[in-house]
Amino acid sequence: MNRMISRLSEQQNLWPWLLLLPLSAYLLVFFAVPLADVVQMSVTEPTLGLQNYEKVLTGSLYRKVFLNTFMTAGIVTLCCLFVGYPLAYLMAHTSRRNAMLILLLITMSFWTSFLVRTYAWMVLLGNNGPVIWLIQAMGFEEKPHLLFTRFSSTLAMVHILAPYMIMNIYSVMQKIDKSLILSAESMGARGASLFRHIYLPLTAPGIANGSVLVFVICLGFYVTPVLLGSPREQMAAGLIGHQIEEFLAFGLGSAMAIVLLGVTLVILGIYHRRFGLDKLWG
Amino acid sequence: MNTLMRVIAYAVIIFIAAPLVIVVPMSLSTASSLQFPPPGYWLGYYASYFSDPGWLRPTWNSIVIASATTVLTMILVVPAAFALVRHKFWGKGVANLMLMMPMAVPHIVMAVGYYSVFGQMRLVHTHLGVILAHTCLSVPITFLVLSANLKGFDRTLERAARSLGASPLQTFGHVTLPILRPGLLISALFAFIQSFDETVVAIFISGRDAETLPRKMFDSIRQEADPVIAVISSLLFLIVAIALIAPHVVSALRGRFTTKGQEKALIAQ
Repeated sequence: MNRMISRLSEQQNLWPWLLLLPLSAYLLVFFAVPLADVVQMSVTEPTLGLQNYEKVLTGSLYRKVFLNTFMTAGIVTLCCLFVGYPLAYLMAHTSRRNAMLILLLITMSFWTSFLVRTYAWMVLLGNNGPVIWLIQAMGFEEKPHLLFTRFSSTLAMVHILAPYMIMNIYSVMQKIDKSLILSAESMGARGASLFRHIYLPLTAPGIANGSVLVFVICLGFYVTPVLLGSPREQMAAGLIGHQIEEFLAFGLGSAMAIVLLGVTLVILGIYHRRFGLDKLWG
Repeated sequence: MNTLMRVIAYAVIIFIAAPLVIVVPMSLSTASSLQFPPPGYWLGYYASYFSDPGWLRPTWNSIVIASATTVLTMILVVPAAFALVRHKFWGKGVANLMLMMPMAVPHIVMAVGYYSVFGQMRLVHTHLGVILAHTCLSVPITFLVLSANLKGFDRTLERAARSLGASPLQTFGHVTLPILRPGLLISALFAFIQSFDETVVAIFISGRDAETLPRKMFDSIRQEADPVIAVISSLLFLIVAIALIAPHVVSALRGRFTTKGQEKALIAQ
Protein backbone atom coordinates (compact mmCIF):
# COMPACT_ATOMS: atom_id res chain seq x y z
CA MET A 1 0.00 0.00 0.00
CA ASN A 2 2.71 2.40 1.01
CA ARG A 3 4.69 1.52 -2.08
CA MET A 4 1.67 2.19 -4.25
CA ILE A 5 1.21 5.61 -2.76
CA SER A 6 4.83 6.52 -3.25
CA ARG A 7 4.72 5.34 -6.86
CA LEU A 8 1.57 7.34 -7.41
CA SER A 9 3.18 10.47 -6.03
CA GLU A 10 6.19 9.83 -8.26
CA GLN A 11 3.92 9.73 -11.25
CA GLN A 12 2.21 12.89 -10.14
CA ASN A 13 5.55 14.59 -9.80
CA LEU A 14 6.27 13.97 -13.45
CA TRP A 15 3.07 15.66 -14.57
CA PRO A 16 3.95 19.30 -13.84
CA TRP A 17 7.28 18.93 -15.63
CA LEU A 18 5.54 17.48 -18.65
CA LEU A 19 3.08 20.38 -18.68
CA LEU A 20 5.90 22.88 -18.32
CA LEU A 21 8.10 21.31 -20.98
CA PRO A 22 6.75 23.06 -24.13
CA LEU A 23 6.92 26.54 -22.62
CA SER A 24 10.35 25.94 -21.07
CA ALA A 25 11.74 24.69 -24.36
CA TYR A 26 10.21 27.69 -26.15
CA LEU A 27 11.64 30.22 -23.73
CA LEU A 28 15.04 28.53 -23.93
CA VAL A 29 15.18 28.88 -27.72
CA PHE A 30 13.43 32.22 -28.23
CA PHE A 31 14.28 34.03 -25.01
CA ALA A 32 17.48 32.66 -23.47
CA VAL A 33 19.34 32.19 -26.77
CA PRO A 34 18.79 35.78 -28.05
CA LEU A 35 19.70 37.11 -24.62
CA ALA A 36 22.86 34.97 -24.52
CA ASP A 37 23.67 36.26 -28.00
CA VAL A 38 23.60 39.84 -26.71
CA VAL A 39 26.03 38.86 -23.94
CA GLN A 40 28.25 37.12 -26.46
CA MET A 41 28.27 40.04 -28.89
CA SER A 42 29.18 42.41 -26.08
CA VAL A 43 32.49 40.58 -25.53
CA THR A 44 33.30 39.41 -29.08
CA GLU A 45 32.33 42.28 -31.40
CA PRO A 46 34.48 43.38 -33.09
CA THR A 47 37.23 41.51 -31.20
CA LEU A 48 37.33 39.30 -28.11
CA GLY A 49 37.70 41.23 -24.87
CA LEU A 50 36.08 43.62 -22.48
CA GLN A 51 36.90 46.78 -24.44
CA ASN A 52 33.20 47.46 -25.14
CA TYR A 53 32.40 47.52 -21.43
CA GLU A 54 35.45 49.68 -20.79
CA LYS A 55 34.14 52.19 -23.33
CA VAL A 56 30.57 52.07 -22.05
CA LEU A 57 31.54 52.45 -18.40
CA THR A 58 34.25 55.10 -18.80
CA GLY A 59 33.52 56.95 -22.06
CA SER A 60 32.13 60.41 -21.40
CA LEU A 61 29.29 60.12 -23.94
CA TYR A 62 28.06 56.85 -22.46
CA ARG A 63 28.41 58.05 -18.91
CA LYS A 64 26.40 61.14 -19.81
CA VAL A 65 23.67 59.05 -21.43
CA PHE A 66 23.41 56.63 -18.50
CA LEU A 67 23.39 59.49 -16.01
CA ASN A 68 20.68 61.18 -18.05
CA THR A 69 18.70 57.92 -18.12
CA PHE A 70 18.80 57.53 -14.34
CA MET A 71 17.96 61.15 -13.77
CA THR A 72 15.03 61.05 -16.17
CA ALA A 73 13.73 57.83 -14.63
CA GLY A 74 14.04 59.40 -11.17
CA ILE A 75 12.28 62.60 -12.21
CA VAL A 76 9.51 60.68 -13.98
CA THR A 77 9.02 58.47 -10.90
CA LEU A 78 8.81 61.50 -8.58
CA CYS A 79 6.39 63.28 -10.92
CA CYS A 80 4.22 60.14 -11.16
CA LEU A 81 4.15 60.02 -7.38
CA PHE A 82 3.28 63.71 -7.12
CA VAL A 83 0.56 63.29 -9.72
CA GLY A 84 -0.67 59.87 -8.66
CA TYR A 85 -0.91 60.16 -4.89
CA PRO A 86 -3.47 62.98 -4.73
CA LEU A 87 -5.61 61.38 -7.43
CA ALA A 88 -5.55 57.99 -5.69
CA TYR A 89 -6.46 59.82 -2.47
CA LEU A 90 -9.39 61.54 -4.16
CA MET A 91 -10.56 58.21 -5.58
CA ALA A 92 -10.40 56.55 -2.19
CA HIS A 93 -12.33 59.39 -0.51
CA THR A 94 -15.03 60.31 -2.98
CA SER A 95 -18.36 58.70 -3.80
CA ARG A 96 -18.34 55.28 -5.41
CA ARG A 97 -19.69 56.70 -8.64
CA ASN A 98 -17.00 59.37 -8.96
CA ALA A 99 -14.29 56.85 -8.12
CA MET A 100 -15.63 54.60 -10.89
CA LEU A 101 -15.59 57.46 -13.38
CA ILE A 102 -11.99 58.38 -12.55
CA LEU A 103 -11.04 54.71 -12.73
CA LEU A 104 -12.66 54.54 -16.16
CA LEU A 105 -10.58 57.50 -17.34
CA ILE A 106 -7.37 55.95 -16.03
CA THR A 107 -8.03 52.55 -17.59
CA MET A 108 -8.92 54.29 -20.85
CA SER A 109 -5.60 56.09 -20.78
CA PHE A 110 -3.78 52.90 -19.78
CA TRP A 111 -5.20 50.84 -22.63
CA THR A 112 -4.69 53.49 -25.28
CA SER A 113 -1.52 52.64 -27.21
CA PHE A 114 1.37 54.72 -25.91
CA LEU A 115 2.18 55.70 -29.49
CA VAL A 116 -1.22 57.35 -29.63
CA ARG A 117 -0.54 59.18 -26.37
CA THR A 118 2.93 60.20 -27.54
CA TYR A 119 1.38 61.60 -30.70
CA ALA A 120 -1.26 63.45 -28.68
CA TRP A 121 1.46 65.18 -26.65
CA MET A 122 3.11 66.18 -29.89
CA VAL A 123 -0.12 67.95 -30.85
CA LEU A 124 -0.62 69.49 -27.41
CA LEU A 125 2.91 70.85 -27.14
CA GLY A 126 3.44 71.65 -30.83
CA ASN A 127 4.25 75.11 -32.14
CA ASN A 128 0.65 75.59 -33.26
CA GLY A 129 -0.81 73.66 -30.37
CA PRO A 130 -3.18 74.61 -27.54
CA VAL A 131 -0.51 74.93 -24.83
CA ILE A 132 1.44 77.54 -26.80
CA TRP A 133 -1.86 79.24 -27.66
CA LEU A 134 -2.75 79.34 -23.96
CA ILE A 135 0.65 80.77 -23.04
CA GLN A 136 0.25 83.53 -25.61
CA ALA A 137 -3.34 84.19 -24.58
CA MET A 138 -2.06 84.79 -21.08
CA GLY A 139 0.00 87.64 -22.46
CA PHE A 140 3.46 86.17 -22.92
CA GLU A 141 5.06 87.49 -26.08
CA GLU A 142 7.71 84.87 -26.48
CA LYS A 143 6.84 81.52 -28.04
CA PRO A 144 8.63 78.93 -25.94
CA HIS A 145 9.91 75.84 -27.70
CA LEU A 146 8.36 72.89 -25.89
CA LEU A 147 8.65 70.02 -28.33
CA PHE A 148 11.78 67.83 -28.63
CA THR A 149 13.07 68.84 -25.24
CA ARG A 150 13.63 67.02 -21.99
CA PHE A 151 10.42 68.67 -20.80
CA SER A 152 8.20 67.21 -23.51
CA SER A 153 9.52 63.65 -23.26
CA THR A 154 9.34 63.73 -19.45
CA LEU A 155 5.78 65.02 -19.50
CA ALA A 156 4.65 62.35 -21.97
CA MET A 157 6.37 59.59 -19.99
CA VAL A 158 4.70 60.79 -16.78
CA HIS A 159 1.37 60.66 -18.58
CA ILE A 160 2.06 57.17 -19.92
CA LEU A 161 3.37 55.71 -16.64
CA ALA A 162 1.12 57.51 -14.12
CA PRO A 163 -1.64 54.85 -14.36
CA TYR A 164 0.78 52.23 -12.94
CA MET A 165 1.48 54.48 -9.95
CA ILE A 166 -2.17 55.45 -9.41
CA MET A 167 -3.47 51.89 -9.55
CA ASN A 168 -0.82 50.64 -7.12
CA ILE A 169 -1.44 53.39 -4.56
CA TYR A 170 -5.22 53.27 -4.96
CA SER A 171 -5.39 49.53 -4.36
CA VAL A 172 -3.51 50.00 -1.07
CA MET A 173 -5.56 53.05 0.02
CA GLN A 174 -8.78 51.17 -0.61
CA LYS A 175 -7.79 48.46 1.85
CA ILE A 176 -6.86 50.82 4.69
CA ASP A 177 -8.90 50.05 7.75
CA LYS A 178 -10.93 53.20 8.46
CA SER A 179 -10.98 52.44 12.18
CA LEU A 180 -7.20 53.01 12.29
CA ILE A 181 -7.72 56.58 11.08
CA LEU A 182 -10.62 57.09 13.47
CA SER A 183 -8.69 55.83 16.47
CA ALA A 184 -5.71 58.03 15.55
CA GLU A 185 -8.09 60.98 15.37
CA SER A 186 -9.65 60.08 18.71
CA MET A 187 -6.17 60.22 20.21
CA GLY A 188 -5.72 63.73 18.90
CA ALA A 189 -3.85 63.26 15.62
CA ARG A 190 -4.94 65.95 13.16
CA GLY A 191 -4.21 67.15 9.66
CA ALA A 192 -0.58 66.95 8.66
CA SER A 193 0.47 64.86 11.62
CA LEU A 194 -2.29 62.32 11.01
CA PHE A 195 -1.19 62.14 7.41
CA ARG A 196 2.52 61.85 8.16
CA HIS A 197 2.37 59.34 10.97
CA ILE A 198 -0.63 57.21 10.05
CA TYR A 199 -1.76 57.59 6.47
CA LEU A 200 1.58 57.84 4.68
CA PRO A 201 3.14 54.76 6.35
CA LEU A 202 -0.01 52.75 5.63
CA THR A 203 0.20 53.62 1.93
CA ALA A 204 3.98 53.06 1.70
CA PRO A 205 3.71 49.59 0.11
CA GLY A 206 1.69 51.06 -2.77
CA ILE A 207 4.22 53.86 -3.19
CA ALA A 208 7.10 51.34 -3.24
CA ASN A 209 5.35 49.10 -5.78
CA GLY A 210 4.40 51.93 -8.09
CA SER A 211 7.80 53.61 -7.87
CA VAL A 212 9.78 50.46 -8.66
CA LEU A 213 7.51 49.67 -11.58
CA VAL A 214 7.63 53.19 -13.05
CA PHE A 215 11.38 53.55 -12.53
CA VAL A 216 12.21 50.22 -14.15
CA ILE A 217 9.93 50.73 -17.15
CA CYS A 218 11.31 54.24 -17.60
CA LEU A 219 14.94 53.02 -17.57
CA GLY A 220 14.33 50.97 -20.71
CA PHE A 221 11.93 53.37 -22.44
CA TYR A 222 12.67 53.68 -26.14
CA VAL A 223 9.77 55.08 -28.16
CA THR A 224 8.71 58.24 -26.32
CA PRO A 225 12.19 59.71 -25.66
CA VAL A 226 13.20 59.01 -29.26
CA LEU A 227 10.08 60.70 -30.67
CA LEU A 228 9.62 63.57 -28.22
CA GLY A 229 12.97 64.05 -26.52
CA SER A 230 15.92 66.18 -27.43
CA PRO A 231 18.40 64.42 -29.73
CA ARG A 232 21.18 65.90 -27.61
CA GLU A 233 19.84 64.34 -24.41
CA GLN A 234 19.40 60.73 -25.44
CA MET A 235 18.43 58.00 -23.05
CA ALA A 236 20.15 54.60 -22.91
CA ALA A 237 17.59 52.67 -24.98
CA GLY A 238 17.66 55.34 -27.69
CA LEU A 239 21.45 55.22 -27.93
CA ILE A 240 21.42 51.40 -28.07
CA GLY A 241 19.02 51.57 -30.99
CA HIS A 242 21.20 54.20 -32.63
CA GLN A 243 24.34 52.06 -32.25
CA ILE A 244 22.64 49.06 -33.85
CA GLU A 245 20.65 50.73 -36.63
CA GLU A 246 22.92 53.61 -37.66
CA PHE A 247 26.46 52.51 -36.83
CA LEU A 248 26.03 48.71 -36.86
CA ALA A 249 28.12 48.79 -33.69
CA PHE A 250 26.74 45.53 -32.32
CA GLY A 251 29.41 45.15 -29.66
CA LEU A 252 28.90 48.58 -28.13
CA GLY A 253 25.11 48.38 -28.41
CA SER A 254 25.12 44.96 -26.75
CA ALA A 255 27.42 46.07 -23.94
CA MET A 256 25.10 49.01 -23.24
CA ALA A 257 22.11 46.68 -23.35
CA ILE A 258 23.72 44.33 -20.83
CA VAL A 259 24.56 47.20 -18.48
CA LEU A 260 20.96 48.42 -18.74
CA LEU A 261 19.69 44.89 -18.12
CA GLY A 262 22.05 44.48 -15.16
CA VAL A 263 20.81 47.64 -13.47
CA THR A 264 17.18 46.65 -14.08
CA LEU A 265 17.70 43.18 -12.67
CA VAL A 266 19.52 44.48 -9.58
CA ILE A 267 16.60 46.80 -8.78
CA LEU A 268 14.03 44.06 -9.39
CA GLY A 269 16.18 41.58 -7.44
CA ILE A 270 16.29 43.82 -4.37
CA TYR A 271 12.56 44.29 -4.69
CA HIS A 272 12.03 40.54 -5.06
CA ARG A 273 13.94 39.75 -1.86
CA ARG A 274 12.02 42.38 0.06
CA PHE A 275 8.48 41.92 -1.22
CA GLY A 276 8.36 39.16 -3.84
CA LEU A 277 8.28 39.92 -7.54
CA ASP A 278 4.85 38.42 -8.14
CA LYS A 279 3.29 41.27 -6.15
CA LEU A 280 4.73 43.92 -8.46
CA TRP A 281 2.22 43.46 -11.25
CA GLY A 282 -0.67 43.01 -8.82
CA MET B 1 -3.84 69.20 3.26
CA ASN B 2 -7.15 67.85 2.10
CA THR B 3 -8.05 70.77 -0.14
CA LEU B 4 -4.54 70.94 -1.59
CA MET B 5 -4.72 67.24 -2.49
CA ARG B 6 -8.13 67.80 -4.05
CA VAL B 7 -6.95 70.72 -6.20
CA ILE B 8 -3.96 68.73 -7.44
CA ALA B 9 -6.18 65.71 -8.10
CA TYR B 10 -8.55 67.74 -10.31
CA ALA B 11 -5.58 69.16 -12.23
CA VAL B 12 -4.29 65.62 -12.69
CA ILE B 13 -7.64 64.53 -14.13
CA ILE B 14 -7.33 67.25 -16.76
CA PHE B 15 -3.71 66.24 -17.39
CA ILE B 16 -4.73 62.61 -17.97
CA ALA B 17 -7.80 63.43 -20.06
CA ALA B 18 -6.36 66.18 -22.29
CA PRO B 19 -4.29 63.99 -24.65
CA LEU B 20 -7.20 61.55 -25.00
CA VAL B 21 -9.70 64.31 -25.71
CA ILE B 22 -7.58 66.00 -28.36
CA VAL B 23 -7.02 62.97 -30.60
CA VAL B 24 -10.48 62.69 -32.17
CA PRO B 25 -10.90 66.37 -33.22
CA MET B 26 -7.36 66.26 -34.67
CA SER B 27 -8.35 63.38 -36.94
CA LEU B 28 -11.23 65.44 -38.35
CA SER B 29 -9.05 68.48 -39.01
CA THR B 30 -8.44 69.76 -42.52
CA ALA B 31 -4.93 70.92 -41.59
CA SER B 32 -2.14 68.88 -43.15
CA SER B 33 0.25 69.57 -40.30
CA LEU B 34 -0.14 69.67 -36.53
CA GLN B 35 -2.43 72.56 -35.69
CA PHE B 36 -4.89 73.06 -32.89
CA PRO B 37 -7.63 74.24 -32.84
CA PRO B 38 -8.29 72.82 -36.34
CA PRO B 39 -8.99 75.36 -39.12
CA GLY B 40 -11.88 73.23 -40.41
CA TYR B 41 -13.41 69.77 -40.22
CA TRP B 42 -13.79 66.98 -42.77
CA LEU B 43 -13.52 63.20 -43.09
CA GLY B 44 -10.91 63.27 -45.85
CA TYR B 45 -8.09 61.68 -43.88
CA TYR B 46 -10.37 58.82 -42.84
CA ALA B 47 -10.99 58.19 -46.52
CA SER B 48 -7.27 58.23 -47.19
CA TYR B 49 -6.60 55.79 -44.35
CA PHE B 50 -9.13 53.31 -45.69
CA SER B 51 -7.78 53.56 -49.23
CA ASP B 52 -4.04 53.68 -48.56
CA PRO B 53 -2.31 50.29 -48.71
CA GLY B 54 0.61 51.93 -46.91
CA TRP B 55 -1.63 52.00 -43.81
CA LEU B 56 -3.96 49.07 -44.43
CA ARG B 57 -1.15 46.55 -44.94
CA PRO B 58 0.52 47.27 -41.56
CA THR B 59 -2.91 47.17 -39.91
CA TRP B 60 -3.59 43.76 -41.43
CA ASN B 61 -0.07 42.56 -40.55
CA SER B 62 -0.63 43.57 -36.93
CA ILE B 63 -3.95 41.72 -36.76
CA VAL B 64 -2.43 38.56 -38.26
CA ILE B 65 0.66 38.68 -36.05
CA ALA B 66 -1.32 39.40 -32.87
CA SER B 67 -3.79 36.58 -33.62
CA ALA B 68 -1.07 34.03 -34.27
CA THR B 69 0.81 35.23 -31.19
CA THR B 70 -2.34 34.75 -29.10
CA VAL B 71 -2.85 31.17 -30.29
CA LEU B 72 0.77 30.19 -29.77
CA THR B 73 0.96 31.89 -26.37
CA MET B 74 -2.18 30.12 -25.15
CA ILE B 75 -0.93 26.71 -26.34
CA LEU B 76 2.24 27.20 -24.32
CA VAL B 77 0.89 29.03 -21.26
CA VAL B 78 -2.29 27.07 -20.42
CA PRO B 79 -0.51 23.79 -19.54
CA ALA B 80 2.22 25.70 -17.72
CA ALA B 81 -0.34 27.61 -15.63
CA PHE B 82 -2.06 24.36 -14.65
CA ALA B 83 1.29 22.89 -13.64
CA LEU B 84 2.34 25.87 -11.55
CA VAL B 85 -0.99 26.56 -9.85
CA ARG B 86 -2.16 23.00 -9.17
CA HIS B 87 0.99 21.08 -8.43
CA LYS B 88 3.64 21.29 -5.78
CA PHE B 89 7.06 20.20 -7.00
CA TRP B 90 10.73 20.84 -6.55
CA GLY B 91 11.92 23.84 -8.56
CA LYS B 92 8.51 25.48 -8.74
CA GLY B 93 9.76 28.83 -7.50
CA VAL B 94 12.51 28.92 -10.11
CA ALA B 95 10.08 27.94 -12.86
CA ASN B 96 7.73 30.72 -11.76
CA LEU B 97 10.54 33.26 -11.87
CA MET B 98 11.72 32.09 -15.29
CA LEU B 99 8.25 32.65 -16.73
CA MET B 100 8.27 36.24 -15.50
CA MET B 101 11.70 37.05 -16.91
CA PRO B 102 10.59 38.30 -20.35
CA MET B 103 8.71 41.02 -18.45
CA ALA B 104 11.81 42.09 -16.50
CA VAL B 105 14.09 42.48 -19.51
CA PRO B 106 13.77 45.84 -21.29
CA HIS B 107 12.39 45.34 -24.79
CA ILE B 108 15.32 47.18 -26.36
CA VAL B 109 17.66 44.48 -25.01
CA MET B 110 15.53 41.73 -26.54
CA ALA B 111 15.30 43.71 -29.77
CA VAL B 112 19.11 43.63 -30.11
CA GLY B 113 19.12 39.88 -29.48
CA TYR B 114 16.33 39.13 -31.96
CA TYR B 115 17.90 41.39 -34.57
CA SER B 116 21.10 39.35 -34.40
CA VAL B 117 19.79 35.80 -33.83
CA PHE B 118 16.80 36.05 -36.16
CA GLY B 119 19.11 37.64 -38.73
CA GLN B 120 21.20 34.47 -38.73
CA MET B 121 18.06 32.31 -38.84
CA ARG B 122 16.64 34.38 -41.74
CA LEU B 123 13.61 35.26 -39.64
CA VAL B 124 14.11 39.03 -39.77
CA HIS B 125 11.49 40.86 -41.87
CA THR B 126 9.11 37.88 -41.69
CA HIS B 127 5.75 37.49 -40.00
CA LEU B 128 6.98 34.30 -38.32
CA GLY B 129 9.92 36.10 -36.73
CA VAL B 130 7.72 38.79 -35.20
CA ILE B 131 5.21 36.16 -34.00
CA LEU B 132 7.94 34.09 -32.33
CA ALA B 133 9.37 37.15 -30.59
CA HIS B 134 5.98 38.52 -29.54
CA THR B 135 4.92 35.16 -28.10
CA CYS B 136 7.93 35.31 -25.82
CA LEU B 137 7.03 38.81 -24.63
CA SER B 138 3.33 37.88 -24.16
CA VAL B 139 4.03 34.89 -21.92
CA PRO B 140 4.37 36.68 -18.53
CA ILE B 141 1.22 38.83 -18.64
CA THR B 142 -0.88 35.99 -20.07
CA PHE B 143 0.43 33.64 -17.40
CA LEU B 144 -0.26 36.17 -14.63
CA VAL B 145 -3.87 36.71 -15.69
CA LEU B 146 -4.59 33.04 -16.26
CA SER B 147 -3.00 31.79 -13.06
CA ALA B 148 -4.90 34.40 -11.04
CA ASN B 149 -8.10 32.92 -12.52
CA LEU B 150 -6.94 29.40 -11.90
CA LYS B 151 -6.15 30.14 -8.26
CA GLY B 152 -9.76 31.16 -7.68
CA PHE B 153 -11.05 27.94 -9.19
CA ASP B 154 -13.18 25.85 -6.81
CA ARG B 155 -11.79 22.34 -7.23
CA THR B 156 -14.60 20.67 -5.30
CA LEU B 157 -16.64 21.02 -8.51
CA GLU B 158 -14.16 18.80 -10.34
CA ARG B 159 -14.14 16.32 -7.47
CA ALA B 160 -17.93 16.23 -7.55
CA ALA B 161 -17.90 15.43 -11.28
CA ARG B 162 -15.30 12.70 -10.72
CA SER B 163 -17.27 11.15 -7.88
CA LEU B 164 -20.36 11.09 -10.12
CA GLY B 165 -18.43 8.90 -12.54
CA ALA B 166 -16.95 11.36 -15.06
CA SER B 167 -13.56 10.45 -16.49
CA PRO B 168 -10.72 12.97 -16.05
CA LEU B 169 -11.12 14.02 -19.68
CA GLN B 170 -14.88 14.43 -19.35
CA THR B 171 -14.39 16.42 -16.17
CA PHE B 172 -11.97 18.71 -17.96
CA GLY B 173 -14.25 19.18 -20.98
CA HIS B 174 -17.56 19.57 -19.16
CA VAL B 175 -16.57 21.20 -15.87
CA THR B 176 -13.09 22.75 -15.87
CA LEU B 177 -13.12 24.33 -19.32
CA PRO B 178 -16.59 25.97 -19.19
CA ILE B 179 -15.89 27.47 -15.76
CA LEU B 180 -12.50 28.69 -16.85
CA ARG B 181 -13.69 30.14 -20.17
CA PRO B 182 -13.90 33.81 -19.07
CA GLY B 183 -10.39 33.59 -17.60
CA LEU B 184 -9.07 31.98 -20.78
CA LEU B 185 -10.69 34.65 -22.95
CA ILE B 186 -9.33 37.51 -20.86
CA SER B 187 -5.79 36.11 -20.79
CA ALA B 188 -5.96 35.57 -24.56
CA LEU B 189 -7.07 39.18 -24.93
CA PHE B 190 -4.04 40.29 -22.93
CA ALA B 191 -1.75 38.28 -25.22
CA PHE B 192 -3.38 39.86 -28.27
CA ILE B 193 -3.06 43.42 -26.98
CA GLN B 194 0.53 42.87 -25.82
CA SER B 195 1.45 41.86 -29.37
CA PHE B 196 -0.74 44.44 -31.09
CA ASP B 197 0.85 47.29 -29.07
CA GLU B 198 4.43 46.02 -29.05
CA THR B 199 6.63 48.57 -30.78
CA VAL B 200 10.34 48.27 -30.01
CA VAL B 201 11.01 44.70 -31.16
CA ALA B 202 8.77 45.28 -34.19
CA ILE B 203 10.75 48.38 -35.14
CA PHE B 204 13.93 46.31 -35.23
CA ILE B 205 12.82 43.06 -36.84
CA SER B 206 9.56 43.52 -38.77
CA GLY B 207 11.13 45.36 -41.72
CA ARG B 208 9.04 46.33 -44.72
CA ASP B 209 7.52 42.94 -45.39
CA ALA B 210 6.04 42.30 -41.96
CA GLU B 211 5.69 45.96 -40.95
CA THR B 212 3.31 46.23 -38.00
CA LEU B 213 0.98 49.12 -37.27
CA PRO B 214 3.01 50.48 -34.31
CA ARG B 215 6.15 50.45 -36.47
CA LYS B 216 4.36 52.34 -39.22
CA MET B 217 2.99 54.82 -36.67
CA PHE B 218 6.45 55.28 -35.15
CA ASP B 219 7.98 56.05 -38.55
CA SER B 220 5.10 58.33 -39.42
CA ILE B 221 5.35 60.32 -36.19
CA ARG B 222 9.13 60.55 -36.57
CA GLN B 223 8.80 62.02 -40.05
CA GLU B 224 5.96 64.28 -38.95
CA ALA B 225 4.49 64.16 -42.43
CA ASP B 226 1.35 62.09 -42.58
CA PRO B 227 -1.89 63.52 -41.11
CA VAL B 228 -3.39 60.02 -41.35
CA ILE B 229 -1.58 59.27 -38.05
CA ALA B 230 -4.37 61.25 -36.34
CA VAL B 231 -6.98 58.98 -37.93
CA ILE B 232 -5.40 55.72 -36.83
CA SER B 233 -4.75 57.22 -33.38
CA SER B 234 -8.38 58.17 -32.89
CA LEU B 235 -9.57 54.81 -34.24
CA LEU B 236 -7.34 52.99 -31.74
CA PHE B 237 -8.53 55.29 -28.94
CA LEU B 238 -12.20 54.87 -29.89
CA ILE B 239 -11.90 51.06 -29.87
CA VAL B 240 -10.53 51.19 -26.33
CA ALA B 241 -13.10 53.77 -25.20
CA ILE B 242 -16.05 51.82 -26.60
CA ALA B 243 -14.77 48.53 -25.22
CA LEU B 244 -14.47 50.06 -21.75
CA ILE B 245 -17.65 52.13 -21.72
CA ALA B 246 -19.99 49.65 -23.42
CA PRO B 247 -20.27 47.24 -20.44
CA HIS B 248 -21.22 50.16 -18.15
CA VAL B 249 -23.88 51.41 -20.56
CA VAL B 250 -25.30 47.92 -21.02
CA SER B 251 -25.49 47.24 -17.29
CA ALA B 252 -26.96 50.69 -16.64
CA LEU B 253 -29.66 50.11 -19.28
CA ARG B 254 -30.29 46.64 -17.95
CA GLY B 255 -30.53 48.03 -14.43
CA ARG B 256 -33.11 50.58 -15.53
CA PHE B 257 -35.14 47.95 -17.35
CA THR B 258 -35.16 45.61 -14.40
CA THR B 259 -36.19 48.35 -11.99
CA LYS B 260 -38.96 49.36 -14.38
CA GLY B 261 -39.98 45.73 -14.62
CA GLN B 262 -39.95 45.46 -10.84
CA GLU B 263 -42.05 48.61 -10.58
CA LYS B 264 -44.58 47.12 -12.99
CA ALA B 265 -44.58 43.92 -11.02
CA LEU B 266 -45.20 45.89 -7.84
CA ILE B 267 -48.01 47.88 -9.42
CA ALA B 268 -49.58 44.71 -10.76
CA GLN B 269 -49.60 43.28 -7.27
